[in-house]
Amino acid sequence: MKRIELLSPAGDIERLKVTLLYGADAVYIGGEQYGLRANATNFTIEQIKEGCSFAHKLGKKVYLTLNIVFHNEDMDGVEEYIASVVDAGIDAFIVSDPFIISYIKKNFSDVEVHLSTQNSTTNYKSVEFFQKQGVDRVVLARELSLSEIADIIEKTGIDIEVFIHGAMCTCYSGRCALSNYVTNRDANRGGCAQVCRFSFGVDGKKDFTLATKDNNLARYIGSLIDIGVTSLKVEGRMRSLYYLATVIGTYREIIDRYYDGSLTEDILETLEERLSRVANRAVSTHYLLKEADEKDQYYTGRNEASNQDYLGQVISYDKEKKLVKFYERNYFEVGDTVELFTPKGERVSFVVSKLYDEDMNLLDVARHPDNIYYIYLDTDIEIVAYSMIRLLHH
Amino acid sequence: MKVLVEVANKKISNYVDCCDALLLGLENFSVLNSVTFSVDEIRKITKDYPDIDVFVKMDKNLFNDEINDVRHVLQELEQMSIRGVFFYDLAILELKQELSLSLDLVWSQTHMVTNYRTCDYYYQQGVHYALLSKEITLDEILAIVKKSSILSIVEVVSLPSVGYSRRKLLSNYYKDLEEDSHSTLSILEKITDKKYLVKEEDEGTGIFLDEVLNGTSVIKPLYEAGVSYILFREEGISSFMELINDTKNYIDGGCVDTDYVSKYKKLGDSTGFFFKKTIYRVKK
Repeated sequence: MKRIELLSPAGDIERLKVTLLYGADAVYIGGEQYGLRANATNFTIEQIKEGCSFAHKLGKKVYLTLNIVFHNEDMDGVEEYIASVVDAGIDAFIVSDPFIISYIKKNFSDVEVHLSTQNSTTNYKSVEFFQKQGVDRVVLARELSLSEIADIIEKTGIDIEVFIHGAMCTCYSGRCALSNYVTNRDANRGGCAQVCRFSFGVDGKKDFTLATKDNNLARYIGSLIDIGVTSLKVEGRMRSLYYLATVIGTYREIIDRYYDGSLTEDILETLEERLSRVANRAVSTHYLLKEADEKDQYYTGRNEASNQDYLGQVISYDKEKKLVKFYERNYFEVGDTVELFTPKGERVSFVVSKLYDEDMNLLDVARHPDNIYYIYLDTDIEIVAYSMIRLLHH
Repeated sequence: MKVLVEVANKKISNYVDCCDALLLGLENFSVLNSVTFSVDEIRKITKDYPDIDVFVKMDKNLFNDEINDVRHVLQELEQMSIRGVFFYDLAILELKQELSLSLDLVWSQTHMVTNYRTCDYYYQQGVHYALLSKEITLDEILAIVKKSSILSIVEVVSLPSVGYSRRKLLSNYYKDLEEDSHSTLSILEKITDKKYLVKEEDEGTGIFLDEVLNGTSVIKPLYEAGVSYILFREEGISSFMELINDTKNYIDGGCVDTDYVSKYKKLGDSTGFFFKKTIYRVKK
């Protein structure tokens, strides 16, 4: 039986490498044109080539979002752009426009086309339509239940991708122009200003908000595997390295443990706790088990927290001197209990006993984010670049 | 160019003398209608008023358990004199092809009908009409009309719908307030100081800009370009029948009566995106 794919977002080449190292089977990226995150860093053709080469050496894949809703002017040059991305080695395009789908399928038989969630595909009959147009995979709308997803897989047999983690739209994807009207930024061309997270005035009453909690299906990964989902997608091309390392590493462990039968309730709770430590909003399962209701939304303002757990990103480890060299990300001090985790999922917890600056002066606190520091750590685990250090408690 | 009216009233006789075509929301399968019609009611209207073009609106996002009913409805509509079915969900196009129906369709994916090549793609799939997005400019509309084979429909007067959610946004809001729910709510966007209307129905919740889209000034270029239908949505528009009568006369006269445009400045100065291009990159 083919194992389910873990699909990670990657906003730049560094995130692409890190998420693949942390266990993603594939990444999705945006190019400099035609993606729905026009204001993210995005990839040049050279970077796409580098990313594909890196991924393919690991036996992994790279998908490119080409999922804007095209205006007349966007059609100029799109054919040349698609050809250059295919040349760069991309494995699949994520597309919402059926003309673009048909163009790619006619001209590039070796590259897959995945139907974007922007199309809000909610039933097996519309899946069948796109199947006949040559679509290889459908990213379903986020408004579906587990049984509806299962029914679509059973009736169509097509590869299905499901969002498992991250931010949610309030409206059906694609069926929202709030951003256009309120900010003049075109939601369907990558300019979404997330107006659904604004607060609106109501005469004589509490403000009206539409904002949704984030999606988190960690507890139902086994169910999604069992019904035959092909790919599990994490949202967030603009998220930090630490967030991606934690989320992807955690889902990697959930998936692997589900397959080898070692995913106990205790372990799942620990892994859910790990995910909750990097979340900046409350989470829910939205439509997966029931119709979404008031518990899936915010009525108390945006209620977002910035995460202070992320202490550092490892540059290297000197086994002889037992010193970890890292970029600091948040304040911490000697005596704090921290955890270091590696891309392979190894973890070590320890109390910070010795802390040095770049000139090897002994310090009590690390207070300057982005500076380089060293901490003493005696361990046998293999510490490599892009391992992460997080705070357990002060 | 014909005048198409989305009715907010079931008394069809009011409309038939002053417009060319009616857009009727089909009950259970359309969203954001003031009134909906059953299949039997639509059948009766097509029989009673054979000279008027009837379009049926089936623009909801469909789910697995509705597909069989949609199949049955399409087969019934096939037997009637229907000009076209407005659809959002591609299941409807798939069913038309699967059942080899001659029933014509109108590509009506609200904010997504934005370029001539995709219009032509749908035309080749057997969809002969498209309701163009309200969020593109007049120049973009005219280019689509010129370059695409599809027959264009352009929304010119309405309270514009700006979003649709499956969520029960008002029920949820009032539950949080621990108050009885209402089906409509006026909300204020604080930065732009503009009001929006939120309307909840069984299928979900729609959001409208509470400001009339006044496209009366663009009717002439649309007429000259060869647009097939211009759409007027009645909900929230005052003196609607007078507007429709005047518009029909204006078009019949070749769109040369400057008094018409002057008169309908009273609908307000919001021309939507006809003359305003959206942006999507805010930094380099």
